[in-house]
Amino acid sequence: MSDTDIQDEAINVDTEKGNFKYPENYAYDAGVGLNEDTIKYISDVKKEADWVREFRLKALEIFKKKPMPTKWADQDLENIKFDEIRYYLSKGQQPSRTWDEVPDDVKETFERLGIPEQERKFLAGVEAQFDSEAAYSRMKEDLEKEGVIFVGSSEGLEKYPEIFKPYFGKVIPTADNKFSALNSATFSGGSFIYVPKGVKLKQPLQAYFRINAENFGQFERTLIIADEDSEITYMEGCTAPKFETATLHSAVVELVALKNAKIQYITVQNWSSNVFNLVTKRGMADEGAEVKWIDCNIGSRLTMKYPGVVLKGKGARGEVLSIALANDGQHQDTGAKMIHLADNTTSNIISKSISIGKGRSTYRGQVHMPKHLKNCKNNTECDALLINTNSRTDTYPAITTRGENNTVQHEASVSKVSAEQIFYMMQRGLSEGEAMSLAVNGFVNDLMKAFPMEYSVELKRLIDMEMEGSVG
Amino acid sequence: MNTLEIKNLNVSIDGQAILKDFNLTIPKGEVHALMGPNGTGKSTLAKVMAGHEDYTVESGEILLDGVNILGEDPDEIAKAGLFLAFQYPLEIPGVSIANFIRAARQARLPEGEDINAVEYYKELYAKMDALKMDRKFTARSLNEGFSGGEKKRCEILQMSMLNPTCCVMDETDSGLDIDALRIVSEGVNLMRGPERSFLVITHYQRLLDYIVPDVVHVMFDGKIVHSGDAELAKELESKGYDWVQEEFVNAPA
Amino acid sequence: MNTILENPTTSTTDEPAWLADRRAAGLEQFKNLPMPSARDEMWRFASVGRLSIDGYDATDAPAADTVAALVGRSNLVTEREGLSVYVNDAQANFEGISDELAAKGVVYLPIADAVAQHPELMEQYFLKESTELGSEKFFGLHAASIKAGSVLFVPKGVEIEKPFVNYYWTSGEKAAVFPHTLVIAEDNAKASVVDIFFSETEENEALNVSVSNIHAGAGANVFRKIVQDWNEKTVSFQLDTTVADRDAQVKNVAVNIGAERARFENQTRIEGPGADVKMYSLTVAEKNQEFDQRTFQTHNAGNAVSDLLYKNALLDNARTIFSGLIKVAEGAQQTDAYQTNRNLLLDPTAEANALPGLEILANDVRCSHGATTGNVDADELFYMMARGISKRVAMQLMVFGFFEEVIEKVESDELAENLRQLIRNKFESKIK
Repeated sequence: MSDTDIQDEAINVDTEKGNFKYPENYAYDAGVGLNEDTIKYISDVKKEADWVREFRLKALEIFKKKPMPTKWADQDLENIKFDEIRYYLSKGQQPSRTWDEVPDDVKETFERLGIPEQERKFLAGVEAQFDSEAAYSRMKEDLEKEGVIFVGSSEGLEKYPEIFKPYFGKVIPTADNKFSALNSATFSGGSFIYVPKGVKLKQPLQAYFRINAENFGQFERTLIIADEDSEITYMEGCTAPKFETATLHSAVVELVALKNAKIQYITVQNWSSNVFNLVTKRGMADEGAEVKWIDCNIGSRLTMKYPGVVLKGKGARGEVLSIALANDGQHQDTGAKMIHLADNTTSNIISKSISIGKGRSTYRGQVHMPKHLKNCKNNTECDALLINTNSRTDTYPAITTRGENNTVQHEASVSKVSAEQIFYMMQRGLSEGEAMSLAVNGFVNDLMKAFPMEYSVELKRLIDMEMEGSVG
Repeated sequence: MNTLEIKNLNVSIDGQAILKDFNLTIPKGEVHALMGPNGTGKSTLAKVMAGHEDYTVESGEILLDGVNILGEDPDEIAKAGLFLAFQYPLEIPGVSIANFIRAARQARLPEGEDINAVEYYKELYAKMDALKMDRKFTARSLNEGFSGGEKKRCEILQMSMLNPTCCVMDETDSGLDIDALRIVSEGVNLMRGPERSFLVITHYQRLLDYIVPDVVHVMFDGKIVHSGDAELAKELESKGYDWVQEEFVNAPA
Repeated sequence: MNTILENPTTSTTDEPAWLADRRAAGLEQFKNLPMPSARDEMWRFASVGRLSIDGYDATDAPAADTVAALVGRSNLVTEREGLSVYVNDAQANFEGISDELAAKGVVYLPIADAVAQHPELMEQYFLKESTELGSEKFFGLHAASIKAGSVLFVPKGVEIEKPFVNYYWTSGEKAAVFPHTLVIAEDNAKASVVDIFFSETEENEALNVSVSNIHAGAGANVFRKIVQDWNEKTVSFQLDTTVADRDAQVKNVAVNIGAERARFENQTRIEGPGADVKMYSLTVAEKNQEFDQRTFQTHNAGNAVSDLLYKNALLDNARTIFSGLIKVAEGAQQTDAYQTNRNLLLDPTAEANALPGLEILANDVRCSHGATTGNVDADELFYMMARGISKRVAMQLMVFGFFEEVIEKVESDELAENLRQLIRNKFESKIK
């Protein structure tokens, strides 16, 4: 694919595109605030098994007990008003299998976001979540025949407990952190996916998460199990309208790659600037397996997200490629975790962040080779680009190494776009903004190549939008 | 009609005068060479013409096709038809040559009009072939890791792709071996025509063996002190700049 | 916590009120702050559970013959301008400055004499720079208990080439020592010091809480070398700060070999443009030793440089923690700040932790940090063996090669050779 095609087939998605909303009209509403009754309401509506209900209630207790991580994290967390948030809103629990059956306002929402069009073009399946529940969910029939399961979290636990229950909450235990506990108590929606042995999906599955309601918390739960020798790419996108008040998104995503399986998980996060985005993502890679996180954070007020891979089997590989763009008033607090637990495991982290205006981007990383392991490798690169004189970036890696013939390498650098570079490009006729956009796109260019084409186009557009007005 | 008219240009940086009542006129279609010792203000002139903001323009005018461009932003000046081949082209990591030139071309089109990609690449490849540039270069980051000669060829490639009316070449010969010099010069000569003017800034006469100028100016301490035909460059080469100083600067007016 | 250190007896009625106040404040700080906890970010990865200062106390100097022997062993640097030797914080030997330097206004004195003779100078600088990297409690203990140490003051424009050498020895049972080195170099002055920390025997248990403060005035040049070779029964804290003014050049080079557990807190604060501060360290860790290094490079002014290189070689079950932070304040443009941590694991049971951090609030900066951990390069080893060198010798060559980058920075052949010998004594036989 040459760069010609990328530019010619640009998909028009931009930051403003998600900024619209439809009137709120819900059949199910758990009300405002969080207590045992909220949890019981969600469980009742979903007609859940007792063990799920107990799982939720126990998680609520853990959530209440755990302190906010403000000892090290952004103090802005204190501004989340848990008592003013609505924890469950839906029009019904069953997703439609055709777009025609989706309620008009919801359908129009996703059409404006281009989801049905993308589905036709290049996706193997789509799930579209509107507030707490999926409004649409469909996968290509031939995949169903091959035994691929692609359902929501409730349906997955209800219909296929023998497949999902053994891994549910195991990669990320409820008590992992305060927000994984919150999600475990309140989860609704998300994708549960099982790819049988040897099945290799050629096209990605996609989920799109949409928040429509104000003062709302979205808590989707995703669990992907790739059985031996299988392969899957999963992509998620997210938007919300710009509300006056803060909105909360707190997901838990667990990936299980069994022997020699490959999972690639791609996120383009473009929440509006009032969303607290506090997400826990972790994958487990068995022998010879590969888990790759490609994570782009453009939107939100505060994002805290450190995708991780537990390299459990010999020869497992983990990778995190991340791009973060922090504009004025935003804090992108992102990073990666690589836990090496077997010989010959390798991990790679590349993080690129751009801070604009008073925007702040933070990288937090953990690389752990704690035991007597052999021949493990980690490579970490963190590059920060600071656009304005008062932009901010922080880097806080933590690396522990033991064992034989292991190598760990961490490098970080900070750069800016020089005035001479901008002058050079302007001399060729580009405006200052265009020149800045080009330089920023150049900065992330090598990472963009790791993306499926459609996403890199979208990302480039998003960056261009964010760069507008950043200079001068 | 003159392509370029510079009238009584006075420029300073940090309070120090660099260009002093500088005057220069280049009629349409002519190639003028500007020579002079180091530190005399040649590169400052080039940057001021292109709208660099580090310099303070005290007074004067720079007319490009009759319109004053002084004070305009660099991109507006570029779009008005002035191209500056940099002495030290900047490296732009991650931005490929193809995408960069394309963005520059796109900037010259009216709103809503898009470049025809097929024709663009056809033209780009043809011009790269003429400059003996490997087509693989299109995917490489602009100037990053290029040798001196590759950078200068890339400047000429951009010049020919952007179709300027006035080309200012700032020490384009510096850092070039004789083969690269010949290729770069051929590229420039191919662009010579009745509608386009050139200002070739150089310290050495060597480049002017390949790009034969219509007029040669000698610059000293912020202004042109002497002008002549192509033979003047050869005279300078043999007699050196001290001769200029004795003959034209120190001599009574 | 249960320690007799809570009732120090250092304060005398001769001391000026400001010093008595600082000691009292230090004691309060020591008593009120809790012991470090594992949840404290400043103590991440440190084995705080095993940290104890119980049972140590200020102890008298040993018998005269022991002292004499230790003074005799205080011979790492023979080319020097002045010398202090302390044993258990008691002065054992002192070589003051020449009349010529004294005439120029140079001061080199034991702390107590400096307090008595130069009260204004001491009030301005002594115990004014506390650590901010987690050991505030122990800094308080130091302030309450300090009685040993040297003050070097070099007035404007005076340049002294040869170093002042301070030896701090421990001896006897469970001695607690609180050495203090204070260096004040006024504008365009030049000074260098060597601080050397030794134990009398391989067995005498000890607690060290030392503090060193360097104040480098505009254009001053200060060079401090530190040799820490405590025995492996010593718990040590070295809480050091450097404040560099405009165009000052400061270089710290530390070679750390000893202690059961050693905590280093090393802060550099750049307060003027053009300053250039270097922080170099070499650590050789073996057995169950823990070296816990916390560094902080603060750039409050632009156009300045700081460069840090910490190299650690680890054997047996040793642990190292390098936790560094570069902070570039808002407006400190054109900062060049670098931080490099290299860990060489020579045994599979050794553990290296690295926390290299950056906090950058200005955009026109060149800042980078790098941390690498690995074993001896197998290809390099093969290459040497292919030339006929035995594996053992090849390993030694490579490990000493790893050290050499820091050792040569002491810029003294005599001290460099002495350091190589200390390292050789410690672990040459171990490289198999």
